[in-house]
Amino acid sequence: MTRRRAALAALAAVVAVLAAYPAFASGYGVRATLQVFMWIVLASSWNLISGLTGYVSFGHVAFFGAGAYAGAILVAKAGWPWLPAALAGGVAAVLLALVIGYPCLRLRGPYFAIAMLGLNEVLRALVSYFEGLTGGGNGLSLPTLDATIPIYYAMGASAAMVTLVTHAIITSRFGLRLMTIREDEVAAEAMGIDTGRHKLYAFLLSAAGPGIAGALTARDQGYIEPISVFPLATTITMIVMVLFGGKGTVWGPVLGAVVLFVAQEVVWTRYPYVHPLLFGAIIVAVVLLMPRGVLGILQIRYRLPRTI
Amino acid sequence: MTTPVLEIERLRKRFGGVIAVDDVSLRLEAGRIYGLIGPNGSGKTTLFNCITGVERRDGGRVRVSGERVDGLRPWEIAQKGVGRTFQVIRVFPELSALENLLVVTRGHLGGARTRALELLRFVKLEGLRDEYAGNLSYGQQKLLEFVRVLMRDPTLILLDEPAAGVNRTLLNDLLDAVRQLRDRGKTILLVEHDMKVVMGLCETVFVLDHGEKIAEGAPGIIQTDERVIEAYFGR
Ligand SMILES: Nc1ncnc2c1ncn2[C@@H]1O[C@H](COP(=O)(O)OP(=O)(O)OP(=O)(O)O)[C@@H](O)[C@H]1O
Ligand SMILES: [Mg+2]
Repeated sequence: MTRRRAALAALAAVVAVLAAYPAFASGYGVRATLQVFMWIVLASSWNLISGLTGYVSFGHVAFFGAGAYAGAILVAKAGWPWLPAALAGGVAAVLLALVIGYPCLRLRGPYFAIAMLGLNEVLRALVSYFEGLTGGGNGLSLPTLDATIPIYYAMGASAAMVTLVTHAIITSRFGLRLMTIREDEVAAEAMGIDTGRHKLYAFLLSAAGPGIAGALTARDQGYIEPISVFPLATTITMIVMVLFGGKGTVWGPVLGAVVLFVAQEVVWTRYPYVHPLLFGAIIVAVVLLMPRGVLGILQIRYRLPRTI
Repeated sequence: MTTPVLEIERLRKRFGGVIAVDDVSLRLEAGRIYGLIGPNGSGKTTLFNCITGVERRDGGRVRVSGERVDGLRPWEIAQKGVGRTFQVIRVFPELSALENLLVVTRGHLGGARTRALELLRFVKLEGLRDEYAGNLSYGQQKLLEFVRVLMRDPTLILLDEPAAGVNRTLLNDLLDAVRQLRDRGKTILLVEHDMKVVMGLCETVFVLDHGEKIAEGAPGIIQTDERVIEAYFGR
């Protein structure tokens, strides 16, 4: 219990520092931290569906892109303030997940992964096609607005929210039921677990965060285009973050997001040419040397709970 | 006549050219232990899979307590009170022993925990409750799978070779548990190769050969049935 109290105190301190940070940080510092928050949202959300149920989503950035376009259209064409537009971005992503989750989650193994990849490509094509609404390939500009600091808080709150939800799920029987799908779906069904419904719930939950993050990012950047919000690289990055940190744990995706983002920034600014190479090397190293991720290894070796 | 707990009518399942279950019909009454035997590949596991919805049947009907269940999803059939174990162990390897039991329950968590700990004690796994199921020995996993079925308190229990790989002392406890379940009104259908187990436990035995039911009756009678002897030992 004292250990738990110490952990909570440390967590409160981190939250307090992050809350006060914009008051004394540079513009770059705020932007970089905002990005870390975004990656935490994306990685933790991917963990909810793929880390827990084992259904590997290879097109999760689709929800980010859907949220970005929904939010941006509402701001640019309907004049919505950015905060409700961001929430609407989350709703749009969840609705999208509802429509595609039903057929796609019947597919098992690599077929689901490929279907999700396809979905992302289809969405990108659709967005380019409906020029009237989306600006097509020319992109969509939002009215100028300097809201980086409020968006910093909104993104931070989203990251905290996704982490809290992950914690609540992983410590619940609902979360255990999701894990049985990963462990042995046939046995889970034979034990009376309605795996279809459980997968769908996890999928809907995993879409909300990326939708909100997409809409917030669109507002912050003031301009979006199909290639900027639907890149496959974003999906791969969130997957690598989760694998690096430890899938199926609460803090693994957070750790992965922080470490890999910082590493990426450092390498990117110093050695722009080796950046893609290094990222590829990290992927290979993680998969080969520690497929469980940092916290996954600790969890197994020291019998720690999944809430690490 | 009371409604049978399980009633199968002309159940059929084929895999390509192999007819794994060939027009099998059987009835199980409440509060009895039944055996299902037959040579390797005679269709015992496939019959279980068709009853529980894991495999889709090609024909025939399955009723549980009078209600049609063929065509339902496996979890729906399970929720109608059918529990099973698998011949090839299917515990949830990265869930702890305790979690393996808790995860299949609904409703009050405290009650489920008490029951789970009780069952773990029964199979002498209470000291390993926080161990990952995948790290348990083969026999321990087998026992865990057995008590996992009991967590849901099913009315019909299908056991696919529960004795294989379980040590002698625990085996006797396990067989006692099966008898107790019967005494509490549960119906058990048991696939088992160990004839001693079958003889000591089952009131009625069904014999499959090449997917066909070739005999049915008390174990003593079955043993002397010519078709059964032929199926096992050839001509
Ligand atoms: N998924 C499958 N695909 C193709 N053929 C199958 C499949 N499952 C079973 N079979 C075939 O169906 C027949 C019956 O197999 P089944 O496993 O039901 O036998 P069994 O009586 O359980 O045997 P054992 O005593 O070895 O467990 C066999 O010929 C087997 O090869
Ligand atoms: Mg078998």
